[in-house]
Amino acid sequence: MSKTTIKTKLSRRQYFFIIVQTEIGVGILSLPYDLHSQAKQDGWISLLIGGVLLQIVLLVIWLIAKRYPDKDFFQINEAVFSKWIGKGISLLYIAYFSMVSMVLLLLFVRLISLWVLPQTPFWILSLLMILVCLYLASGGINVMARFYTFVSVLLIVLLGFVVYSLKDSQIVFLFPILNDGWVPVIKGANEAVLSFFGFIISLVIYSKVEGSPAQRLRTIFYAHWFVVLFYLFTVITSFTFFSTVEMSFIQEPLLYMLKSFDFTIVARLDLFFLSIWVVNVATTLTTYVYMTGLGLTDVFGTKKTTPSYIIAAFIILVPPLFIGYNMERVDQFNNFVVWMGYIFSVAFLFIIYFISLIRGSLQKGGAS
Amino acid sequence: MGFLRKLLGNRDRIEDTSNKNQGQQPNQPSSKKLSENVEYLLNEFKRTDDLKIRAMNNGQAVLMYFEPLVDQEKIQQNIFNPLEMGHVEHISEIPNARSSENLEEMIPTLLRGHAIYMEDGSSTITRFNVTSVFNRNVEEPQNEKIVRGSHDGFIENLMINLNLIRKKIEHRDLVVKYFKVGKKTNTNIAIVYMDGIADPEIVQKLEKRIKSISVDMIQSPGYLEEFIEDNPYSPFPQMLNTERPDRVVANIMEGRIALMAEGSPTALIAPSTFFMFYQASDDYNARWYTGTFVRLVRLASFIIAIGMPAFYIAVISFHYEVLPDELLLPVKSSINEIAYPPILEALIMVVIIELIRESGIRLPSPVGQTIGIVGGLVIGDAVVRAGLVSNLMVIVVALTAIASFVVPSNELSTTLRLMTFPLIILAGTFGFLGIVFGFLFLTVHLTRLESFGVPYFAPVAPLNINDLKDTFVRLPLFMMKKRPKDAHPLQEKAMGESREWVQHEQDNNKN
Amino acid sequence: MKRKWLGILICLTLLTGCWDTRQFKDIKLVLAIGFDQNEDGGVTETVSIPTVRRSTEGPANETVQVLTTEGKTPREARDHTDQMIANTFDPSKAKVILMGEELAKNSIQPIFDQFYRNPNNNLNAYIAVVEGKAEDAIRISPPNDPGISKYVSGLLEGQINATHSTGENIEVLHGELLEPGIDFAVPLLKVDKEQNLLNFEGLALFHNDAYSGEFIPNHQTTLLMLLEGIRGKVASFTIKVTDEEENAIRNYLTFRVMRNIQDMKVKVENNQVKVDINVKMKVRVVEYPRNHLTSKKTIIDLNEKLSELLTEQSEEIIAVIQEANSDVFQVGRNVQSYHPDYWKKVNWEEEFPNITIKPTIEVDIVQYGVIS
Repeated sequence: MSKTTIKTKLSRRQYFFIIVQTEIGVGILSLPYDLHSQAKQDGWISLLIGGVLLQIVLLVIWLIAKRYPDKDFFQINEAVFSKWIGKGISLLYIAYFSMVSMVLLLLFVRLISLWVLPQTPFWILSLLMILVCLYLASGGINVMARFYTFVSVLLIVLLGFVVYSLKDSQIVFLFPILNDGWVPVIKGANEAVLSFFGFIISLVIYSKVEGSPAQRLRTIFYAHWFVVLFYLFTVITSFTFFSTVEMSFIQEPLLYMLKSFDFTIVARLDLFFLSIWVVNVATTLTTYVYMTGLGLTDVFGTKKTTPSYIIAAFIILVPPLFIGYNMERVDQFNNFVVWMGYIFSVAFLFIIYFISLIRGSLQKGGAS
Repeated sequence: MGFLRKLLGNRDRIEDTSNKNQGQQPNQPSSKKLSENVEYLLNEFKRTDDLKIRAMNNGQAVLMYFEPLVDQEKIQQNIFNPLEMGHVEHISEIPNARSSENLEEMIPTLLRGHAIYMEDGSSTITRFNVTSVFNRNVEEPQNEKIVRGSHDGFIENLMINLNLIRKKIEHRDLVVKYFKVGKKTNTNIAIVYMDGIADPEIVQKLEKRIKSISVDMIQSPGYLEEFIEDNPYSPFPQMLNTERPDRVVANIMEGRIALMAEGSPTALIAPSTFFMFYQASDDYNARWYTGTFVRLVRLASFIIAIGMPAFYIAVISFHYEVLPDELLLPVKSSINEIAYPPILEALIMVVIIELIRESGIRLPSPVGQTIGIVGGLVIGDAVVRAGLVSNLMVIVVALTAIASFVVPSNELSTTLRLMTFPLIILAGTFGFLGIVFGFLFLTVHLTRLESFGVPYFAPVAPLNINDLKDTFVRLPLFMMKKRPKDAHPLQEKAMGESREWVQHEQDNNKN
Repeated sequence: MKRKWLGILICLTLLTGCWDTRQFKDIKLVLAIGFDQNEDGGVTETVSIPTVRRSTEGPANETVQVLTTEGKTPREARDHTDQMIANTFDPSKAKVILMGEELAKNSIQPIFDQFYRNPNNNLNAYIAVVEGKAEDAIRISPPNDPGISKYVSGLLEGQINATHSTGENIEVLHGELLEPGIDFAVPLLKVDKEQNLLNFEGLALFHNDAYSGEFIPNHQTTLLMLLEGIRGKVASFTIKVTDEEENAIRNYLTFRVMRNIQDMKVKVENNQVKVDINVKMKVRVVEYPRNHLTSKKTIIDLNEKLSELLTEQSEEIIAVIQEANSDVFQVGRNVQSYHPDYWKKVNWEEEFPNITIKPTIEVDIVQYGVIS
């Protein structure tokens, strides 16, 4: 029975929550600040633009995945590029996924040390985090899907916190709209796209999801727009809560605005918000650990999956230990990975698609 | 003719069911010499003194039985009375006698409390069931009392337990399967399920696991549990443990399987989910509002039992900013003069409570009460006055202990109290972050856990909205038309439209 | 294998100890802080540290220790305080922050920087300006309340409920300090040494981050709040409606605001900013010994009279505000949002005193108690 449950496909609801939980991660706390630093009070327009642009990428993802309905992403690579080149490309992707995980880990621990535990050494926090992720990821995608669906309740709690801060918001701070023209808004869209980079999971596990291609495409879009709206809401709330000048100083506006609320039972909601946010980071990181581990399993063709997850976790854990709290290096690394993200999560997908198209037509031609 | 042959043919094939499982037993044909037979049996039983040999017919025949196992009156009634009254000529003609020529077969028979009769010059051995049985009443189990509902409980006799179940489910689909487990103890195990509702795959799995047990002794289902559960390293019980027939019946009707053993009043139910441990029979006997409320209280107690001391420690030693302004000074004044760090305080108090509880359980009830008073009141008060532990910590730990006892299942309650410790340590090291990590590990573990291939944390993970009706809340029974999915029932529908009469009555009123 | 991992994990967790513990019992909680300017440009910090010692029986006895230290910056003054007390000093739960008049007139932003920068702080402390020195205010020991922080926060909360003040905490203040085109007003307190009490004088008007020296006296603060569209639990006015009566008391009418609608319109016409502030209130008369409110006409007359009087008063208030150059109505921010081109052209700080702000107040008596 346990074998059959692992073999069963993910439901579309689980697919939805996997995508949502993967996309909402470390970035959510600082997203309003990042958008604001580029586009000022028009950051929310940038976010919408980013969301619409990604729609195209998601469509390409779907087109790729539809051509190989029973292959996961790494197997698709091999199918598209022939075995050895495909494995090489898969390795590049594994490197990319592990680097994203490292950045996530670095940013997570940096934030924790900034806000709550300044003295705690880097290694113990990252170790704890990676252990949770390893434990979850080695349970397989079904367990992950169950877990993600379950913890999505916490998104509602987060949303509740944000809604509460709406009471002090002033719509005046959103104006004037487009005062500096479109250029900063477009620049801001770059920041917006960053916050969605988890979407690649929709390609990696596409074959494990039930339903017709059209239904799955719909699920991908729903998940994407759910995240866009979730982000939009948090961004607008923080933009209206903080004045325009203030926003440019506050790096984690979502936390900052909860600091002053004092209820009769508890004060300092930001600490609770932060605690719940840890869960979202864990889900995001788990997805990347999973993708790295899955890639390793596929590339080296191992039978057992757990060792490759352990290796993946190890690869992800060690390099950040040498970077630690060094802000400058974290930022450099972050920027590097962002560019890698454009290459691997956007540009390369188009390449894969075109090559698979060409191969497809060649094969057809050969067959006829 | 055909009909008669069929009848005869059938009769030929029918055998004693008790022989069914012993087909592969060694065969030792009995000899015609009585002394050889007696000698053989005596040797096999290592000349134990309680094996009674009663010579009859001037030593031409013997009646053998285990003295402690038989009822003397039954011997009188079943064997000697018919003979004396002259109903039968020969002892083997007594109606409830069975005969055999296999000496080896007599060994378990004797052990079961039967008497055997052997004659010189004949290899036929006749046996009689004269077992004596000592049973308690089917009283309500002490550890699972309820207010409303049936007040019977399982006892140490498997037959009576099965009787209780059969009486509650009078249906042909109720299947009982026996197993003998324990090479030396030969304990009778029974699994009970509804054919056509229970998932045959799970039944097979359970059978396979029971058959693969190879131990000398099986004492109780609790003993059995560790051999057959999916993840023995998990702190969580993966099979529900109950002594209540109504609970077992309800679970059987949901498509689960009950496992019972001779000599133990506890039934194990597989597959189980986490939330089953939070359901009590009372919930279904009370009004559904009350049932829902009580169940919510119980589930809240889970959070309190596990997280409360950890939360308090995290607040006191990491994040005192979360205290609202009104609480600041009261809290501060209560902990100001305490000598130990809060984490040590908490550990001391939790250990003290465990000590009181453990010492109270074993002692006779008057002494147990004294221990409770001495422990709870005297130590609690003195420890605060001495300034070793703050009074807030006493409140927190006492609340935690109470919350852990709210769980209807004793198994889970113990687990909960055990889970407090790692969380206390994590909270004392990392504050809120530690608690979050602790809960993360816990929920991931619960999501990964499976009981007989069924997700343990169902219906929350995997989410099944329909089954939530009987998880956090208890909706009215007529709204729970489907069986919970987590047990993989073959037949989902549990009830049809049961309140159609409402519509009828309304129609009638209109006319 | 699993058990080995578990063992390693437990060992690591136990060995690592607790880096960030800040034991609540080892901390000197500071709930009220006063800042003053000293002669050489530095800061004098006065803190009140309550210590509660609970005996096992009977009520807790509470002692308050007040310390004053000097330093070049607030943080240095705090370090100096730390050198004088047992354990460490922690202002993260500060409930009240008082500023001396002189310091407030200089600039307050540097004082608050440490609160914003440190993630531990609750940003819900009330702020107030004290006439004279903040130290004197912190040092008074109010007879009824357990500590100065409780007393001052209670006093200020009372003012918020009575619609005398906005109830600004330092989080809200942050935006107002930084944002051009938004100014704010902070309660002004005065030490009454004879009675050992503090007195709410009015709202001190700030320009940018400095006290302008002008303040709205406490009998007009309610009206200012209503002009800003803010109402606490109670907003009541006592207004002299006539001079005709011999008995002085009979000349007055007291009413409570039940509902108020504020509407501010900012227009830019001919390079001139024009602001209309309309306040409509529905009120209940709570005291009017002169007359019975039986006829409709009396009520309409009263409505007109009250509206007229309050509008006059509002104009006075606005004159003071414009003189102080304190844009408490956030007119500047509105101009910036809705007329960005104009905003870029002008220097708002010079412009604000010259703009036209026209208040209109309409009073409508809808209830007059259980007697007519």
